[in-house]
Amino acid sequence: MSASWQRSAEVLGRVCQRKGALLGLLFLAGLMLMTSLARWILPFDPLTQDFGATLQGPSSVHWFGTDELGRDMLARVVYGARTSLVTAAGAVTIAALVGVPIGLVAGFFGGWRDTLLMRFVDVLLSLPGILFAMALIAVLGRSQTAALVAVGITGIPSFARITRAQVLSLRKRDFVTAVEALGGSASYNMYTTVLPNSWSPILVQVVILSSVAILIEASLAFLGVGIPPPTPSWGEMLRTGKSYLYDAPTYAILPGLVLTLTILSLDTIGRALASVLADRHESAASIDPAAGSRP
Amino acid sequence: MTGYILRRILQLLPVLLIASTGIWAMIYAVPGNPVAAMVGENATPEHIEALTIRLGLDKPIHVQYWSWLTHALQGDFGLSIQNREPVLDLIAQRIPATIQLGLAATLIGLLLGVPVAVVSALKPGGWLDRTLSGWSALALGVPTFWLGILLILLFAVNLRWLPSASAYVSILDSPWQALRNTLLPALTLGVYVSGIFARFLRASLLGELKADYVRTARSKGLPERDVIGRHVMRNALLPFVTIVGLMMATFIGGTVVTEAVFTYPGLGRLLIQAIGTRDYPLIQGCILFILVVFVLINLAVDVLYAYIDPRIDYG
Repeated sequence: MSASWQRSAEVLGRVCQRKGALLGLLFLAGLMLMTSLARWILPFDPLTQDFGATLQGPSSVHWFGTDELGRDMLARVVYGARTSLVTAAGAVTIAALVGVPIGLVAGFFGGWRDTLLMRFVDVLLSLPGILFAMALIAVLGRSQTAALVAVGITGIPSFARITRAQVLSLRKRDFVTAVEALGGSASYNMYTTVLPNSWSPILVQVVILSSVAILIEASLAFLGVGIPPPTPSWGEMLRTGKSYLYDAPTYAILPGLVLTLTILSLDTIGRALASVLADRHESAASIDPAAGSRP
Repeated sequence: MTGYILRRILQLLPVLLIASTGIWAMIYAVPGNPVAAMVGENATPEHIEALTIRLGLDKPIHVQYWSWLTHALQGDFGLSIQNREPVLDLIAQRIPATIQLGLAATLIGLLLGVPVAVVSALKPGGWLDRTLSGWSALALGVPTFWLGILLILLFAVNLRWLPSASAYVSILDSPWQALRNTLLPALTLGVYVSGIFARFLRASLLGELKADYVRTARSKGLPERDVIGRHVMRNALLPFVTIVGLMMATFIGGTVVTEAVFTYPGLGRLLIQAIGTRDYPLIQGCILFILVVFVLINLAVDVLYAYIDPRIDYG
């Protein structure tokens, strides 16, 4: 186990050597720290209304200003980070748990299983991700679970395709065929030989898709079909803030800025990770071009 | 070639069939009674029953499916619940607006993205390349709705040059008004696709610049301008065509968010309104329409690619 720890530490070190990725990591770490300590360090609660102080600009009391109900925007942006990060983590987990086995089986066995599974993936890809998510929410109604599942499903094709490509490149390698020749069962071979050697591109995909998931969640909220209020969500804040562009321009600017920095951070880290892993000749850690597709 | 096209169409059929069945089945997955959800809380039981019969939801399920499929194949998606107009008519009204926005955005994307790609590919790793790669990352990372809001703040709220809400004016009727109304949404989408275009074209150019024929062209003393313009660009543009086509396919349904920012009356807004009012025939019609167009453009791009690149084996 210590060898793999050492390897992870080495990869992390290489990623941190890139300025952009280091900045991204620091930003995300800061955001997560603030979110977890929010209850103790923030002076205001994200839901407390104050009709004496609505639509204020940034001040020494309310650093990010207040919204139309007089709620503190800094608190709402920080709690909105929690919504975004939790949705992203959940959605990427769903996508990986379904997508990786699909790619593994399709690539390992080939033949009719490959055709069948990849047709299923084609169907998911036959609509732009956001529309698929909207259709699902149209059916399930607006809720936290619906948003999570909808965003998660849009990520399945990327995981399936990346894993399949990786498995195909490993399938005929000696260490895989050797297990087969020695009589190892297919599932043993898949899970103990092929999968452990496929982690690099999957890991890169996890990071990149987290940024896509955050974007889709925010887009859904912006369209008014995401997680229902009063849960603070960046997309919802931008949606409401858009109505007050004349009275309180910072209302729509600040949540969008934090959202953009979060997405850029994850994207930069993902790309740095991909190139570090590719340099190590661990794998051709490629990025699925379809992964970035979005509204 | 004909065989290749036919085979690709045959491959599409099962995808379209499964996807359309999924869209049809949507209405049955709605928790509770979908008809009650559609008519709202104040509906009487008679009202619900009348709508159930009008939608044919009282018939056996296989009859419903067959009737839906055969009607959909003829372009008949039924009537909208809200205003009782044929769904296809409502969709058709919105298509010109979406196409105009999509084309304008593609044009802006190309104008911004192609020069960025060419300049950065000529001196990879240089300061200009790194700056321009930063541009691509920014273009892709900034959410379109936030960029749209920033553009409205600057050009509509502060400078008052352009309207903050964009109406659809056809470029053929009034070019100036069309430009005023389409510029901001098209710029919002165009900046985003310029990031995609720049990244793909740069990678594609770098790949071609390493090829042997480039070395040959240079060693026989061809000016660099001709090496790039005549040889490299031509080959690099091949895969690029695919990306441009794919982005245009995405625009058919994928302008939803941008249309929402600028309250632009395209197909995406129709879908959002339909979801808001739970107008299921309209939702199903919109999604099926977008799906078919998306799949067909993808097919067209593949065929075009095979056609312009003789190396592709389509036997």
